[in-house]
Amino acid sequence: MGSKKTRNMWKAGIALVTVKLFATLRDHAGERELRLEAKNVGEVLNQLISKYGPDFQRQIDKAAVLVNGRNITHLKGKQTRLKEGDVVSLFPPLGGG
Amino acid sequence: MAYGYMGKVLEVNLSTNDINSYSLPEKTLDLYVGNKGLAVRLLYDLLTVGVDPLSEDNILIVTTAPLTGTGAPSSNRFNVTTKSPLTGAIGDSNCGGNFGVHLKRAGYDALIIKGKADDPVYLEVTDEGVTIKDARDMWGLNTEESQEALPEKAGKMVIGPAGENLVKYACIVSEERVAGRAGVGTVMGSKNLKAVVASGNLKPRIYNEELFKEAVREWRDILKSHPSTGEELPRYGTSIFINRTSATHTLPTRNFKHGQFKDAEKISGETLADKYLTKNIGCYGCPMRCGRQVEVDGKPVKGPEYETIGMMGSNLLMNDLQEISNWNRQADLLGLDTISLGNTLGFVMEAGEKGLIQTDLSFGRSDNISKAVEDIAYRRGLGDDMAEGVRYLSQKYGGEYFAMQVKGLEMAAYEPRSALGMGLGYAVANRGGCHLGAGYVVFLEANGPITVDPFTTKGKPGLAVFNQTVLEAISTLGSCNFTNYAVFPEQLIKMYNKSNVVSSVVNSSLTLSGNKVGKFMSRPKAILPKSVFQMAFPHIKAYSHLTGKEMSPVDFLKLGQRVFNMSRLFNAREGITGEEDTLPARLTDELQRQEEPRSRVPLSRMLPVYYRLRGWSKDGVPSNRTLKYLEIDK
Repeated sequence: MGSKKTRNMWKAGIALVTVKLFATLRDHAGERELRLEAKNVGEVLNQLISKYGPDFQRQIDKAAVLVNGRNITHLKGKQTRLKEGDVVSLFPPLGGG
Repeated sequence: MAYGYMGKVLEVNLSTNDINSYSLPEKTLDLYVGNKGLAVRLLYDLLTVGVDPLSEDNILIVTTAPLTGTGAPSSNRFNVTTKSPLTGAIGDSNCGGNFGVHLKRAGYDALIIKGKADDPVYLEVTDEGVTIKDARDMWGLNTEESQEALPEKAGKMVIGPAGENLVKYACIVSEERVAGRAGVGTVMGSKNLKAVVASGNLKPRIYNEELFKEAVREWRDILKSHPSTGEELPRYGTSIFINRTSATHTLPTRNFKHGQFKDAEKISGETLADKYLTKNIGCYGCPMRCGRQVEVDGKPVKGPEYETIGMMGSNLLMNDLQEISNWNRQADLLGLDTISLGNTLGFVMEAGEKGLIQTDLSFGRSDNISKAVEDIAYRRGLGDDMAEGVRYLSQKYGGEYFAMQVKGLEMAAYEPRSALGMGLGYAVANRGGCHLGAGYVVFLEANGPITVDPFTTKGKPGLAVFNQTVLEAISTLGSCNFTNYAVFPEQLIKMYNKSNVVSSVVNSSLTLSGNKVGKFMSRPKAILPKSVFQMAFPHIKAYSHLTGKEMSPVDFLKLGQRVFNMSRLFNAREGITGEEDTLPARLTDELQRQEEPRSRVPLSRMLPVYYRLRGWSKDGVPSNRTLKYLEIDK
């Protein structure tokens, strides 16, 4: 904390967040967790699509997105702002018990 | 001549050795159909009020449904219903094993077991005769050995040592599936009935073969193409919910002290699939194949489900999937319900910490669990008390505050302080602290693809009624509850996720109109075109073409209402009413998390609304008007 880069990021409202992928999203992405810099959830999703391709977009379209355990549909959807250290979790439509 | 049904029920009295078969009135079958619906009606009619559930006066009823054994997907489940020795309320338990299929091949839709044998027996049911046979040299065998001792090409249901020793949450095993809850295995043991084996060559008749086969094909296609039932469940099994419930603080952790487990990943469905899964296994006739096979002691065995991983894992702060698989295997062999088992162990661990019970069981300590499980099954030492369940333990030793049970049935692996509607559901479920009887509202609040605010109470009573109605109907028709996962079409999920506007509108509609939906359930009218409704519930089309009987969407909803109310009526007649619609104080009085001021269940706010929507009195008893509307004879 206190580095020039961090202060600049803070000023721009960009946060370093952890993105966690679950269930078949892991198969599609080939990994389960990554760190990204983003202002809001929408930017996270766009970066994931850029990284993993249009097939992954089809998966994201079906996925529930949580920020720190809260569903973004109860927050501000893709406009939900992120802060440093937030955890963004993506889940495909699950069945289970 | 019957279509779908075999046309006869078999009644066996183990006290007198009387064996009878008879037909049920068509009206009864039309109103109650099969499985849990038919069973609770029959039990209500045949059982004397106020019997001791472990006496010879209790009755054990095994039922199938018309769809059983016809080729309809995921619809071969059977049901075991009795008066529960754990709760004194209705004890109905469902099982995906193939016993029901074979019972129908033997020519029977249901099996009614009365009385008590003097010595251990097993029942052999074939299409050529029914015999009560000596089981003295089977008594003491575990469930696997018991099934192996019986003819190979037959349907079987057996108990293990836990049922023989009258552990209050003993279960019944068929193949590798289990009728787990409410002590149905205990009642079987109290009758000295070790097993039932069924076989035969009869087949249910189909009213319109061509249309039925087409309906079945369409249904199968829906299940295979939906992401939940066609991809996630087959790939990962039920435990895929572990990471999701932990993320949303709905995973019981440390005897329901918390809802999130720091080691959830270690016991998740993903880890199970990556490190331990050797094969998928499925119930007879199911394309989802959500069962897991793993290795225990070098042998391929059935792996743990979500509930077991929750209750024996996070609930006890255990994070080793191999150990949990070992305990699951042990519980299956002994014939113990893993939900009640894990819940009981969690209670004892907390009571031990607080000095209420002398025990070396403690959260996170795994080396003495196996012995404790064995002690419970054989009622040794503290195991004798633990075999009675948490309500008994808390009444004897104290700790009612954290005895996580409702009506005496231990709660399942969902922590409702971060899913308030689920809290209401647990309190009112007919068999006690049951996640299914609760309507599984948590799916609409925390783990499904479309979720409303988990911390509001708005609309939750109505959504609970709606969910319960649907699940009761599906189960009564003989189908697996998981067929309901295909109810939200993929396109709807995509629209919901794509646009903030759509998701906001959906979420607020569900909460604002949730109670209206619930009220509508009590007096359903045809508002959706039948074809649309059937896409969500293909069960209806299959049932109609199988039996030749029309089932409209309204009939389907009324069926779900009728079955739920019938069970409620059974309970009321046994003296179990709204007074027992409670939750342990931990859930109503204590915040789950300080940072979330809404994280406790305001049950008293939701209950009166729920009763009103249900058409019940303020004591939670179905009114005569409601019973009349649903054509339920008192």
